[in-house]
Amino acid sequence: MPELYLRLLNRILTPLLLLLAIYLLLRGHNLPGGGFIAGLMAAAAFELQILSRGHERVRRSIGPYLNSGIGLGLAIAICSGFAGLLNGVFFKGLWFDLHVPLLGELAVGTPVIFDLGVFLVVVSVATSYLLGLSRVSDSAAPNPDGAPSPELSDSFETDPTGVADDSRVRNKR
Amino acid sequence: MALNANLLAAPVAAPLLTAALILLFARWGGRTLIRHQVALTALALCLNLGIVLTLFYGAAVQGRRFVLQFGNWTAPFGITAYGDGLSATLLLMTAIVALAVYPFAVATIDYHRARMGFHPLYLFLLMGVNGAFLSGDLFNLYVFFEVLLMASFVLLTIGAQPAQTNSGIRYVVLNLLASTVFLVAAGVAYGTLGSLNMAQIAERLPLAAPAVRTVFAGLLMVAFGSKAALFPLFFWLPASYHTPPPAVTALFGGLLTKVGIYTLFRSFTLFFPELLLSWQPALLTIAGATMLVGALGALAQPGIRRVLSFHIISHVGFILMGLAVALSGNSLAIGFGLGAAILYLCHHMIIKTALIMAGGAVELYMGSDRLASIGGLVTRQPLLAFLFFMASISLAGVPPFSGFVSKLSLLQITLDTHHWVVSGVSLFASLLTMINMMRLWRESFWGDYSRPSRVPSRILQSTIRQQLMLIPVGALVLLSLGLGIFGERAFNLTMRVAQHALDRDAYIEAVSPSTLHSSGLRSGAFNVTGPKFPDSSTHLFASLGEPPWPAR
Repeated sequence: MPELYLRLLNRILTPLLLLLAIYLLLRGHNLPGGGFIAGLMAAAAFELQILSRGHERVRRSIGPYLNSGIGLGLAIAICSGFAGLLNGVFFKGLWFDLHVPLLGELAVGTPVIFDLGVFLVVVSVATSYLLGLSRVSDSAAPNPDGAPSPELSDSFETDPTGVADDSRVRNKR
Repeated sequence: MALNANLLAAPVAAPLLTAALILLFARWGGRTLIRHQVALTALALCLNLGIVLTLFYGAAVQGRRFVLQFGNWTAPFGITAYGDGLSATLLLMTAIVALAVYPFAVATIDYHRARMGFHPLYLFLLMGVNGAFLSGDLFNLYVFFEVLLMASFVLLTIGAQPAQTNSGIRYVVLNLLASTVFLVAAGVAYGTLGSLNMAQIAERLPLAAPAVRTVFAGLLMVAFGSKAALFPLFFWLPASYHTPPPAVTALFGGLLTKVGIYTLFRSFTLFFPELLLSWQPALLTIAGATMLVGALGALAQPGIRRVLSFHIISHVGFILMGLAVALSGNSLAIGFGLGAAILYLCHHMIIKTALIMAGGAVELYMGSDRLASIGGLVTRQPLLAFLFFMASISLAGVPPFSGFVSKLSLLQITLDTHHWVVSGVSLFASLLTMINMMRLWRESFWGDYSRPSRVPSRILQSTIRQQLMLIPVGALVLLSLGLGIFGERAFNLTMRVAQHALDRDAYIEAVSPSTLHSSGLRSGAFNVTGPKFPDSSTHLFASLGEPPWPAR
């Protein structure tokens, strides 16, 4: 069972980290920040969840969507490049002025969409690394009954149960 | 900006977008999902071939140079993609190899590997290779090297057999070392020349101190030579190519070392053409040693794929020999050597892929590729035996196949420039290739039928799988035959491609005309399309005085 303070800290820090990630993502066009940093920040929030609630719960809730996140992010990023073709050149920025009631005038363009794609890729990749690492460190720790950990599947998580890989892992040991 | 230049983004964007879509929907479905992945990947490969054929027609046949400045940011600030005849030829060969290996891969890759992401990785590898051929920027070249290294590393170890993991570690460590050397070279270029754009490096390098030029050239030679599997740096290749599934070996054998060769071509023709003359003895020695070690090493190997992977090394030596004499020629034109090397490269990519696929088919039928224990397959698989034989004699250089024309043209230029020793070595290596290929064919197809594995082959029970394996081999052998029969036309084309690649001024002007005009710098002395070529650039350095960029 994780420490009490970690669970308390988690409640405060996770929303803060996610907000900070969104802030960094949006300011990244002209100032330090951007999709990559924001993605790492959001992955840090997920890592906090893994540490405080255990990796099984996190894997159950977001694990199956990580690959789709990578694919979606890559597709968004490359499509923002294709959008530049409307302006003549691949990856040329397209900008629109949006009127938002409270915030006033916002300049939204394809670079923001590209950053969103980068953000999704980085979040998904970093979180699946962190989930994989937590699984390995779990299985490396000695189990009480000496049996191998049932959940040592590959990182390509199409199958959240990891049934197909178990036989292979057992055979190898 | 014409739409045509945007075409340069497509060979990278199309595989990437398809792989992204596959990953996006990877969560839903089981075996039907794999079928959809196969369909999408095949579609992307066909699309890639179509795009690349268009590019090839524009760049190699019409002789245009495509330059795409991403987002219209000009050369020193933005990222440049550059496509000329050399890039387009390699892109075309890559597209053909990738499309040809794919049916074989579909027939032979098991469900487990497919579920772990074989098909998107195939596309990522293609994207990395295409990107490296199109990159006009040293750092992006490094990035695409890493993309293809990562994709190939996963393809090599996917399935996690112990032998695969063992070879994968050696492969990745040696390749990462080479990448580090490359990164250091990029750092040297940026620190001393102030740019990573390849056109600007080419423009400024003649003015740099001779020590900088030598260090930069040496580092690039080590990095790219290691990727291309040249003589002292080839150890990653025979250590790793025999362990993954045959389809992966065929793809690697067709594509990976060729990226290293392309970058050697590009850097020697663009950055330091004068070294092609002053380093010529060293280059020829390396080429000869690579040819000999590859061919002799192949003689000692016990398995089909090990023999074939040593032959890849041997043939890289032939290609380097062509590059080394690219700027020499007595009765033959300047650039003849490079044209011959490009033709040899095309021949090598086609026929080596076909041979590895045929050898892989033998291995899958027999359950083993140890030559000592297999034999007599000719009675069961006459078509495979025929195709293997044809591919073998094409590799060895027997007319009317493409091996003959490409070896003949290489030999012509080395004899013309009086490099007797290396010509002799290349002939001897060809003879050894012939001996090796006949050994492979005799041991696996001739004699009494013996199949060491007791487990019945899954491949033998399925006609559609056998067809999927044999049709691409047959198509590639036919392509090699066509390249041999229309050899003169093909050689004229590669000759033109080589002369375009040797024209540095046109490259620099195509990428960054503004900097050229503003600095008033025209490296006319390096225009090597004419017969005269200065062997030293010191007078250039003296006449121009201070370099036009701020000192660091």
